[in-house]
Parts: sequence; structure tokens; C-alpha cells
Amino acid sequence: MTSPIAHASESDRLALEKDDLLVVRYPRVSGGGFAANLTRGLFGALFATPLLWMLLSSIDSHASWSIGVPTLTASNYAAIFHEAEMRPLLNSMYLAGVSTGVTTVSAVLSAYVLSRRHVPLRRVFLVFILFASGLPVTMVIVPTFQLFVTFHWLDSLFWTSLFLAASSLPFAIWLMKNFIDAVPEELEESAEIEGASSLRILLRIIIPLTIPGIGVTAIVTFINGWGAFLIPLVLNSNPSDTPASIAAYNFLSAFTTPKFGQLAAYSLLFSLPVLVLYLVMARRLSGAFSFGGSLRG
Amino acid sequence: MIETNANRSRNPERPEVSEPPQTEVHVGFTGVFKLFGSVVAVRDLNLDIRKGEFLVRVGPMGCGKTTTLRMLAGLERPTYGTIQIGRRVVNRVSCKDRNIALVFQSYALYPHMTVKENLAFGMKARREPRARIRARVQEVAQTLDVVELLNRRPAELSGGQRQRVALGRALIREPDVFLMDEPLSNLDAALRVQMRAELARLHERLGITTVYVTHDQVEAMTMGTRIALMRDGVLQQVDAPETLYARPANLYVAGFIGSPKMNLVSGRLTSLDGEVAVEWLGTCMALRGKVAATVKKHGSEVLIVGLRPEDLRWAPDAPSESTVRLRGPVEVVEPLGSETLVTVVVDGNRLTTRFPPRSGVQTGDIVELALDPTHLHVFDPDSGVSLREQ
Repeated sequence: MTSPIAHASESDRLALEKDDLLVVRYPRVSGGGFAANLTRGLFGALFATPLLWMLLSSIDSHASWSIGVPTLTASNYAAIFHEAEMRPLLNSMYLAGVSTGVTTVSAVLSAYVLSRRHVPLRRVFLVFILFASGLPVTMVIVPTFQLFVTFHWLDSLFWTSLFLAASSLPFAIWLMKNFIDAVPEELEESAEIEGASSLRILLRIIIPLTIPGIGVTAIVTFINGWGAFLIPLVLNSNPSDTPASIAAYNFLSAFTTPKFGQLAAYSLLFSLPVLVLYLVMARRLSGAFSFGGSLRG
Repeated sequence: MIETNANRSRNPERPEVSEPPQTEVHVGFTGVFKLFGSVVAVRDLNLDIRKGEFLVRVGPMGCGKTTTLRMLAGLERPTYGTIQIGRRVVNRVSCKDRNIALVFQSYALYPHMTVKENLAFGMKARREPRARIRARVQEVAQTLDVVELLNRRPAELSGGQRQRVALGRALIREPDVFLMDEPLSNLDAALRVQMRAELARLHERLGITTVYVTHDQVEAMTMGTRIALMRDGVLQQVDAPETLYARPANLYVAGFIGSPKMNLVSGRLTSLDGEVAVEWLGTCMALRGKVAATVKKHGSEVLIVGLRPEDLRWAPDAPSESTVRLRGPVEVVEPLGSETLVTVVVDGNRLTTRFPPRSGVQTGDIVELALDPTHLHVFDPDSGVSLREQ
């Protein structure tokens, strides 16, 4: 039998203990902090090592699988700045660009409808989308290949990019829907009463207010398309259409010595666009609007 | 109440009696129901709003007043019944074709647009000429005194400024009907009083039919040409503020309007020297006039009798008509400056009374109270209906 008073004192005691813990543990924090920093350092090193290897090997004339003090050279970069190596980067740009455009536009439109309009079986549909976004592409690649054969879409960058777009669409819709859900519905109702059409509401209210979300969606889709390996490998056998993600493997031929230096240089080049995108978006996102001032308070 | 008087003078045609002048019906609800699933939000609403009227819908949270407003705005469709604006049934007219303007409780300003863009949004959406948009924005900004804020974003405005911009966005349209959903509830007390007066002035100047939703009875009393009191989706009474106060149609209205609340104590029907009387608070008091006849006709033995605190007077301060005397000990004294609220226990019932400011009455004193039986409100205990007004 516990009275409310007993409860109160119990919770007070717990609160006290919690405070005590904080107070008592503080001097020992340096010990715990050291362990924490060490763990963080180890994990950091784990992630940094390949990057460091890439950076050092790309300027090393004797690059190998190991990390060492480089014998400085620019030859690795010189070797990859040829049409044969640049073309795949353009192809990747095309694949990622088209799929990002298609996915983002479709995701915004469908997410808006799913968020705001009465759609029959909406929940079922949303669960289906969530399920689809978790589906590994390896599972559908064989039937997709057959589909492409039937429709004569093989070896076409355009159709490949459309399939890439389709494969990232479920996640993009899910992501976008959450951003659109966050826009207060009253803004839309107000615009509606003021005589704005659905398109105008979408263009003037929803899209400007979800720019950060659209940015995130676009980046996620772009990275997905930029790094796509299996899809273009299966659907595109035309050598002139090879994207950079596959081209990088040419430096690791089974028949000759792997060109580690060039591989590293190429990989660095390959990761640049993603890096730039992150930087640009990080700046845009920090300057993004909140809904401040639109509603009370 | 000062505001009430000001209100009266601003609108000289305002009826002092419950029968308002017959003017054109502007907005009409006929047999309107609104159901959300099995929940009835609005039940059988019949209400005519006259042109140029400032109708306040008041009631506690969840009484259906906002739903009614949203139906009028076109954001919800009534489940049954018809809504008319002018001569047009608007049930199936989309909200943008109703020529109404709605001020949201949350203001709903577009956060990514400047004040100027917020004001111009609707006109741009309706493809009005640019020169006219510019002129109207200036005009409305001047009316609402927000000219120097035109290039700011909503986040950079204070609560009162946002409120003005929200109002301006509604005004710029020159709507047929102005709808406001608790527009002042997010402002602090001082600002609320100020904006209340401003809204009233604005309505007087523009004469636009206004439907105003609030849960605040002071707002309702001071601003409304008429007040529609709702409870649980059912309209309780529609009347001018004075009428609503003086002649509440039922117990609920009697209890809702007025602060402090009307004293409500049960009594018994009896007769005194052949006259109809109630036995109340340990005394018998004869009822006079119409109420006597209705109470007699009604025939109920048990009644609920109500009396406004200001009608229960301190005997030394009472007018000569207050013939009935009551005695009891003072339980609570609440000085308000201009008056003192005194709770007196009479016959086991706590009664709130208004005493003059310097009565010198203290807790525990035995005081004598006086009342005029013509001020009594009599209600049927089962239905709650007022027997005074039948």
C-alpha cells in the first residue's frame, strides 16, 4: 500500500540520488571522458584511414594498398584527366541528375497529395511505400532486366536513370511527406479562402516552406544515383555509357597491376560533387525559414 | 460597463429591446447539422445574420462555434441543412468563390513572405491589376497602421502587429462577410482591450457583416450587435447583449453570461396572500407580472430561482423597491476597488453580492441584504428553461 505522499518522497529521493550521482561523478568525469574520447578517436581513425589512404595515394608515385609517406607526384591526376576517364563522370552526372530531377518533382507532388488530400486507402498506400523503400534493389534487378529487354530500354542512360529515379522514389516520398506535414494546414486554408488555386498554393506556399526538405530529398536521391553501381552495371553494357562508379573498377584490372594511385585520384574526384552538394546545402539549410511568426506566439 | 456604453453610442440603431429592426438577412443557417463520424459538432442550427451585423458566437471550448464558422467559410461542408450567403445557397460553393475573409486564431500569416506580400497574396491570386494591388496594400496598411512594417517578415513582428496584418489580409479583399475565429485570444490583456476597441471601430466604419467567434464573454458583450450562445453544438439563445444578460433563455445562458455569475438557488412554488410566490432562501416572496402567470401555468412545484449579484443589495444601500430582506453572515470579502464582492451565506446557500466600495463590511459580520422580487429569474429545474420569458 503506497500513499501519494510515499510516492512523492520516493521520487524526491530518486531525484536527490540523481543529483548526487551528478555531483559525485563530476570529479571522475576526466577518467570516463578519456575512455569516451579514446573510443571516439578509434572510430574516427577507422573512418579516416581509407580517406587518408585515398588522399596520400593520389599524390604518391609508388602508391600501394598501404599508407606511407608519399613520393609526391601529379602523374596520377594527369593520367585520369583523359576523355576515357572523364566521360564516366559525365555519365554519372546525367544518371544522378535526371533521376534526382524526376524523383524530387514526383516526390513533392505525391507527398503533397498524400499529406493533404483525402486519398482512399492512404494508410495502406503509405505502409506499402515504406515497405518499398526498404526493398533491396538486388531483389528486383532480374525482373527489371527482363522488363528492359521486353521494352528495348537496355543500354539507354535515360531509361536507366528513370529506373534509378523509381528506386529512390518511395523513400523520397516518405521523406517529403514529413516535411509537408509540418507546414501548418491553416496557411493553406487561408490561401484557399483568398482565392489561390491548388497549384498556386503548392508553388507559393508549400514549396517555399519546404525548400530545406526538398534539398534534403534531392541530395539523398542524387547521392543514391551518383553512387549507383548494380543498376547501371546490369542495364547498361555500352562502354561509352559507363558511369564513374563502375569506371573506377577499371583501375583494378585482374590482368595488370592495380593502379592504386590513379584509383585514389579518381575516387577523390568522384567524391567531390557529393562533398560540394553537402557544403552548399548545409549553408542553405542553416538559412532556412522556420514557421516562426506564421502562427501564434 | 464602460465598453458597453461606448458600444451603444457607436451604433445608435442598436436595439435596446430583443426585437431588432427588420433588415436584410445576409447569412442564413437552416437546419444545419455537422457530424464528425458519430460526434455531432453542430445540431440543428437555425440562425439568420443581418446585413452589417456584428454577430458574436460565444460558448465554451468544443461547443461547435468554430465548426460553424468553418462551414460558413467553406472549409467544412455541413452534413445536413443549408447555408446561405445573400440569396445564394453556398453548400457547394468553394471557399474562394464566397467572397468571405477569415481571420484565424493563429493568424496563419505566410512566414516566408513580407507583410506586403502577405497582404497582396490574395489579390495576386485573383489576378487583380498591379496598380490596384499596390494602392490597396497602401490603403489597408494605413488603416491598420502597419505601413512601416511592410517589408518585414511575420517572425519580426510582435503579437499585436501580426494580429493587425492578419486583419489587413482579410480587409484587403473587401469581403461580403468577415469571419473571425478568436482573433484576440493570443494577445496579452492590455492589447486585447485595445484591439477590441479597434475592431469595433473598424466594423462601425466599414459596416461589413461580421461573424466573430470567441469564448470570452467580455468580448462577446462589448463587441456584438447580437450574441449567439452555443453549447454542445446547440444554439442556446441569440439576442442583443443586454437582452441576453437581462433575460437569459435558460439556466445555461444565465450561468454563462455575467461575472460574477448569477446566484442560482432552488426554491418552491407557493402562494402568499393569494398571490403566486416562491419560497426561497427561507423567505416567501410574491412574484409579480408576467412571470407570476407563467410560473403558475407551468405548475412545477420545485423551481430554480436566480438573482444577479447586483440585484442583491446591501440593505443600507438598497433602493426603495427592494422590499424583501435577507440576513446572513459574510463569508468572503473581495474588494475590487470600484466595488466589493461579498459572499453571504443565507439559509445555507452562498450568495454573491456587489457591495459599494466603502461599506466597511468584514468577514463574519451579519449583514442585511435587500432585493426586489421583480428581478428574480425563474427556471424549470428539469429543462432549465426560463419561465420568465415564456
